[in-house]
Amino acid sequence: MEIEGAIALVTGGAQGLGLAIAAHLAALGARVVVADHNAETLSRLPEGLEPARLDVTQPAEVKAAVAEILARHERLDILVNNAGSIYSEAFVNLMNPAGIMHDYERFRRSLTVNLDSVFIVTSAVVEQMVRRRTGGAIVNISSISAGGNEGQTAYAAAKAGVNAMTVTWAKELGRWGIRCNAVAPGFIATVSTQGALTASVLKHIQDSTPLRRLGEASEVAQAVSCVIANDFINGAVLNVNGGLTI
Amino acid sequence: MNQQLAVLLADVFAMRVSDIHPDLKKDDVGSWDSLKQMDLVMSLERTYGIALDIPDILQMVSVAAVIAVLIAKGVDLGD
Repeated sequence: MEIEGAIALVTGGAQGLGLAIAAHLAALGARVVVADHNAETLSRLPEGLEPARLDVTQPAEVKAAVAEILARHERLDILVNNAGSIYSEAFVNLMNPAGIMHDYERFRRSLTVNLDSVFIVTSAVVEQMVRRRTGGAIVNISSISAGGNEGQTAYAAAKAGVNAMTVTWAKELGRWGIRCNAVAPGFIATVSTQGALTASVLKHIQDSTPLRRLGEASEVAQAVSCVIANDFINGAVLNVNGGLTI
Repeated sequence: MNQQLAVLLADVFAMRVSDIHPDLKKDDVGSWDSLKQMDLVMSLERTYGIALDIPDILQMVSVAAVIAVLIAKGVDLGD
């Protein structure tokens, strides 16, 4: 797909990895709509990115937003499902007097934010791509945690679900000219990673990574544009982790 | 039964051309599921140069209905 001139929607794109992806696609010539629930970060978007305040867990709100984007741009070629939230909680926590087991409501909440949201947004976008026969490219932002990660039952399950939906949609939607891929970042030097992990854990990760460093947000963004641009990549889950999982 | 359409349907549903006839319904064809319906739509659109709307697609639950939709779209099936 030619990225220059394409219309893209990047969810959770007002900060961090999502912003890097949105800015990269815009630099390649795409017109990028950035959806985010945070009005404050949306108000600080760099010039050229179009803000859309949106809660990706609300189907009606998402449908209306997609309709509005189509009314403004007449088509939507690219969807990057980046919105989500890292969530860590041990399955068994013997130090929690309120209950030693993972809270079910928080499990459900993490699935809603990280898995249901991808279903909801993709459903609204693909319906329009099918009705209009425009084809398109979907990129889901997965995670190294999809393979299972200690202390992340909900987040790992959600991201594994994202990978499964990616492959399912790649098989099912290819006939409509819609490709679906995932990019699975490892440990990236973002504010959220630095905030979630201690210095000693980060050092351990770096020492375990063949490239001996954390990734850059720009390198994840490059991976996203790569799977969009290459018309024969479909159903891939592309690891961007410096070789940590090999 | 138009031969080109019979070949197309047989190809989509992996059936013999001789088994395709207007009375054939979706429920008679084991392979005629929602995924095959998408293949059918793409195949009809490519072959006849038409665009099928969602209501058209929902109607196509038998060979007779497929024929009716094609005729309504101006396709000349010749018989």
